[in-house]
Amino acid sequence: MDVSELKVTADLANIELGEEEFASLGREVEKMLDYFSKMMETDGMSLPSGPGRRAANRTRPDAVSGDADPDSLLENAPELEDRFIVIPNVL
Amino acid sequence: MESPFARWRVLSDAAARKKYEAYVKEADANIGAFLEFDAGRPEGRPGGCLEGVPFAVKDIIAVKGFHLTCGSKILQNLVSPYTATAVEKLAAEGGIVVGKTNMDEFGMGSSTDNSALGKTNNPWDGRRVSGGSSGGSAAAVAAGMVPFALGSDTGGSVRQPAAFCGVYGLKPTYGAVSRYGLVAYASSLDVVGVCACSVGIARDVFELMRGQDEKDQSSLDPGPDAPGPDAKVIGVLGGDLGLDPAVERAYRAAIGFYKSKGFELKEITLAMAEYYVPVYYTIATAEASANLARYTGIRYGYRPACAENPEELTRRARSEGFGDEVKLRILLGTYVLRSGFQDQYYQRAQRLRQAIRADFDNAFTRADVILTPVFPTQAFLRGQGGLDQFQQKLADRFTTAANLAGLPAFSFPAAVEDGLPVGMQFLAPAFGEARLFEVVRLYEENFPRPLPPRYKPEWS
Repeated sequence: MDVSELKVTADLANIELGEEEFASLGREVEKMLDYFSKMMETDGMSLPSGPGRRAANRTRPDAVSGDADPDSLLENAPELEDRFIVIPNVL
Repeated sequence: MESPFARWRVLSDAAARKKYEAYVKEADANIGAFLEFDAGRPEGRPGGCLEGVPFAVKDIIAVKGFHLTCGSKILQNLVSPYTATAVEKLAAEGGIVVGKTNMDEFGMGSSTDNSALGKTNNPWDGRRVSGGSSGGSAAAVAAGMVPFALGSDTGGSVRQPAAFCGVYGLKPTYGAVSRYGLVAYASSLDVVGVCACSVGIARDVFELMRGQDEKDQSSLDPGPDAPGPDAKVIGVLGGDLGLDPAVERAYRAAIGFYKSKGFELKEITLAMAEYYVPVYYTIATAEASANLARYTGIRYGYRPACAENPEELTRRARSEGFGDEVKLRILLGTYVLRSGFQDQYYQRAQRLRQAIRADFDNAFTRADVILTPVFPTQAFLRGQGGLDQFQQKLADRFTTAANLAGLPAFSFPAAVEDGLPVGMQFLAPAFGEARLFEVVRLYEENFPRPLPPRYKPEWS
């Protein structure tokens, strides 16, 4: 993977990399991708791509359940003003 | 028959509690299994089978009022507003959560050294790692601080530390235990599991936790065709497995034991074995990159000192809040899912995963259970003489298969070699946990769990 690809990937992942990190993580990513190329030995794409699970999907009604109390969730917010979470200016 | 928990009712009165707390405090000063410990929480339901029994929970599983850090700086101050279903079920029987255990950040690692919040030493040798990612849970059980501790297993994270610390480690069938309250790492692989000090305790805890849960749409009850408890034919691996000599000796000895007990030992070939690790890391990192996108620093978690706008705030929170291994896996996962690369990596890995499942379906027509090592080495040293992050990943080649195929697996202390435990594991067809407990119980009857020399409280 070349440097520009790593840059695009980091942007997509919302991670900023310092220069040193860029080099060291870049090397590690490269090493893993090299290793992943083992999968290319197989004619993997001719294998079936059936469903991963054998059970049918199960859904629940789209309704509020009592478990998460909004106030206790707000207690974990880094900065609050009344019941609003404070963030930097959007514009 | 006496309950396996009888000796463990150490929180049933004030005097016993005091003694218990003093022991944990002293033992954990050397080990560092707990990130948070509090034995003084309200007692559970009286009369339940776990009345007065303490247990620990990996810090990736929610327990109301305790922190939920996932071993990460980004969640260091998060306090859980709710409790996981698996924990609720144990509390309903009187079990008492006494603390949250250390782990590799977000479950990513094999040593617990990737925790941003502390170091966990192996109770057998403090210079060595406890394994990971549920290293704190395994170490707490090994040192007699709790009879069992919940963990999560995405690619071996319960079984490998259990093997390193000399305890039992169950990775249930995918979906057998509700994951409501388990922080997601790789959703098609994650399960809630348990480290335990005996087979009976692992079995009882699993029986209490299991079952379909309306809060987890991926949880399910076993169907009518669930495998029975009896095993006669054990599949074993042939050829050079690349094991350390101590692990090789223990594997051969375990095979010899079962042969002497009248089992039929059959060498099986798992043709897809060389693809487990690349397929696993492709899928696990892809899913991790999506699951960990939720950590934005906005509604909860670490927030950087300053940011000009919300986008910058999120980038900084993630860059400063995540450790190196987590960043590596997010980057890898993002890459393998990128437009233009998806077919090459992610789609291919998914197809190979199907072939791996089929390989096991086939193997279980010839054997009732499969016996394999857990890890090619015993608990390794830190730094020089240990394994680097890449070598640790390659060494996941025995554990990741059960996650990729959704199968139950149970690791057990098979031997002590050179003063350190060695773990082996059995795999069974989906929902075949009963079979695993039966076959390992036989081993335990003949070779009870070895205790680390320095940690033998009266109740363990």
